[in-house]
Amino acid sequence: MLRYIFLRGCLAILVAFTVSLAAFLLLNVASDPAQAIAGEDATADVVETIRARYGLDRPLTVRYFDWLGGVLQGDFGESYYWHKPVAALVADRLDETLTLALSALAVTIVIAIPLGALAALNPNSWIDRFALGVAVSAQAVPNFWLGLIMIIVFAVMIPIFPVSGDSTWRHFVLPAFVLGSSSVPAVMRLTRTGLIEVMGADYIRTARSKGFRGWQLLRRHALRNAILPVISVLAVQLGQKFGGSVITESIFAINGLGRLALESILGADIPTVQMLIFVFAIVFVAMNLLADILNAAIDPRIRIG
Amino acid sequence: MLKKAVQRLAAGTLAVVPLLAGIAHADKADDTLRVAFTEDIINLDYHYTTKREYIIISELVDETLLAINPANGSYLPALATAWEQLDPVTMDLTLRDDVTFHDGTAMTADDVAYTYNTISTQASQTLSGGRIAVWFDRAEALEPQKVRFHFKTQYPLALQDMAIRVPIRKQGTYEAGGSFDPNAASGGPVGLGPYRVTSFESGSELVLERYDGYYAGGPKGDPAIGTVVIRSLPDEGTQQAELMSGSIDWINGVPRDVAESLGKMPNVKHLSGPDRRIGFLILDAGGLVDPEGPLTNLKVRRAMAHAIDRAGIASALIGGAAARIEGACHPSELGCNQEVTIYDHDPEKARALLAEAGFAEGFETEIWSYRDKPMSEAIVSDLKAVGIKVNLRQVKLDSLNVARANRQIPAYFGTWGGDTAPPIRQHFDPETDRNLSGDAELSAMVTEAYAELDPDRQGELFAKIHARITDQVYWIPLWSYSVNYLTDPELVFPLDDDGFPRLYKASWTQ
Repeated sequence: MLRYIFLRGCLAILVAFTVSLAAFLLLNVASDPAQAIAGEDATADVVETIRARYGLDRPLTVRYFDWLGGVLQGDFGESYYWHKPVAALVADRLDETLTLALSALAVTIVIAIPLGALAALNPNSWIDRFALGVAVSAQAVPNFWLGLIMIIVFAVMIPIFPVSGDSTWRHFVLPAFVLGSSSVPAVMRLTRTGLIEVMGADYIRTARSKGFRGWQLLRRHALRNAILPVISVLAVQLGQKFGGSVITESIFAINGLGRLALESILGADIPTVQMLIFVFAIVFVAMNLLADILNAAIDPRIRIG
Repeated sequence: MLKKAVQRLAAGTLAVVPLLAGIAHADKADDTLRVAFTEDIINLDYHYTTKREYIIISELVDETLLAINPANGSYLPALATAWEQLDPVTMDLTLRDDVTFHDGTAMTADDVAYTYNTISTQASQTLSGGRIAVWFDRAEALEPQKVRFHFKTQYPLALQDMAIRVPIRKQGTYEAGGSFDPNAASGGPVGLGPYRVTSFESGSELVLERYDGYYAGGPKGDPAIGTVVIRSLPDEGTQQAELMSGSIDWINGVPRDVAESLGKMPNVKHLSGPDRRIGFLILDAGGLVDPEGPLTNLKVRRAMAHAIDRAGIASALIGGAAARIEGACHPSELGCNQEVTIYDHDPEKARALLAEAGFAEGFETEIWSYRDKPMSEAIVSDLKAVGIKVNLRQVKLDSLNVARANRQIPAYFGTWGGDTAPPIRQHFDPETDRNLSGDAELSAMVTEAYAELDPDRQGELFAKIHARITDQVYWIPLWSYSVNYLTDPELVFPLDDDGFPRLYKASWTQ
């Protein structure tokens, strides 16, 4: 197990460095950081001053290995845009993204698992069709559209939540719903399929013959087995929410890592983009690893390593 | 595209929702103007920034030696009450004696000399220093209210730089920690302007309060609103929703159709004013990209100028105060000459000129563009109508810059905002790759005009330059832009001719 975790940790770091190198090259090819910082109407002398100030006039290889050397010593460099150490910048924004990601995951769980369970207990009924309808709708609706509609309905027409910001728990309700709803289809369908399969198993028939029915049967016998693949998916979804909240954070003006990623890419703030990609890649691999470990912990038949 | 469509749909939906009429706006009651910018505000020291949002903030927090009259471009006294050019490289300025920094200390000539001497050093890495490096040598305080500037060379636009690019900092600002710190004022300078910084959360919110010690009789007048809150809201749809909900009172840069739709609501006011930005088409007249290319033929260039319906495009696609321009400058710009050769929209004449030039069947070329795709497409469509087959290359600004530097662009649709420098300076300088004219004489005239001290002679040179650019069709000047604002209906927001939004002029209806 420990060896497995160690190998997956090494893989995460390798992935992070590879992706950050790709991001570094792509950003430098696709944009001119000095021009992006200076703005559209900046005069040539201003652009050149910025280029010299941030060392952007040095060759690409020198800049990349300079960054890499810093990273190996724990220094991710200074943001071109925010004029502060990138690590401090990311740390400042971490709270908001974690809050949003965990709230969104809670929304997913609260909606998807009961809905999936209800659909599985009543296959081919109107409840099942309703659940399927919810899943299809949630999958079809893009986040930015749902975000704007939620703002119009619950912040403008019926002003019970603020439009944007991140200073109170109320600010997170709408974005958590928007971000969480995108994972509902996958989790709901997996719960439904897993439960339908489990409900046909011999041990469930035995449990029924012992008098277990409804919620009791579900909780004590069926759900524990059906939930295994759901846990894996939830862990992966948490990783995706952590790095994939770019649109939601921008629409709701939440100062988290997603918004920072978008601003950094648009502003060609290469050190920040590189660290964010580094962090996102590691979180993603870590969440996959967590899913494996949780599966092994819940199901003694699974062995990893 | 889809996102924009949704925003429009949302705007349309909101426009007919009667529930909204009852939403209360409390901003007048607490005398707070709430503003939203799409740009993240991260540094309040204008010496280290360039973008328009920072200029808007600097106008609130900072003060410069002179000011520019937005109505006619002339210089107005600000911190300096008088200025005298002793010789081509020496200028004395007399300062006001009733000006205090936001911490209450009086401003003196030492502060002015310190600011200029500090920001002009290469070590300071200021962006304003790069701008004045052309002319500024050193400044010295002669008396508490008198400062002398020594120039490296005679430079008639020194006053312009003093008016728009160099806010005055308190002596010792950048060395407060012992060594030079470029971020010393980034969190909120101790300024001289009508508003002082009371709190600043980088990238999120800036709160400004009216400074009661602001000097009377200055060009900015007496600000009416007590508090200004500026929030960074990157998504335009969110800005509009905040305005609908009454949490924001002022947004700008709103797309025309959205602004017109939301402007019909009872709790929103739509203002459309001029923008300092102009659009133009730059042609490879000098054959720098293709020495034998059709664009080197003057008749072809004139045909193109006749082919494009500039007034129609400006009216249909930009609207508001947008208008066709004739000269290569914004009409509000100092020295702008719009009395130049006129090329009416006349496709027949365009075809005739093409035939005379030996291109009766038209020709193929490329036009590059990095913004305003609908306008680019309209230009291409007009040119196609007279037989010029244009391949439109809609790219990012960075890509256009690289291709232009590599001489790969025969023509491009450009724009210039004019907040930082006049367009002809940036586009006809002999050194710049933006200059596709190949006209060394014109470049020499530009250099001469910007070094000319005599205003009359300088005006004559500008008139000649603009006339030549248009006559030779090095550019096809297209149109000026307009900007759409959405505001709280109780907000009075005057729009200046130069298109720059000055928030300190805002007030509430009585």
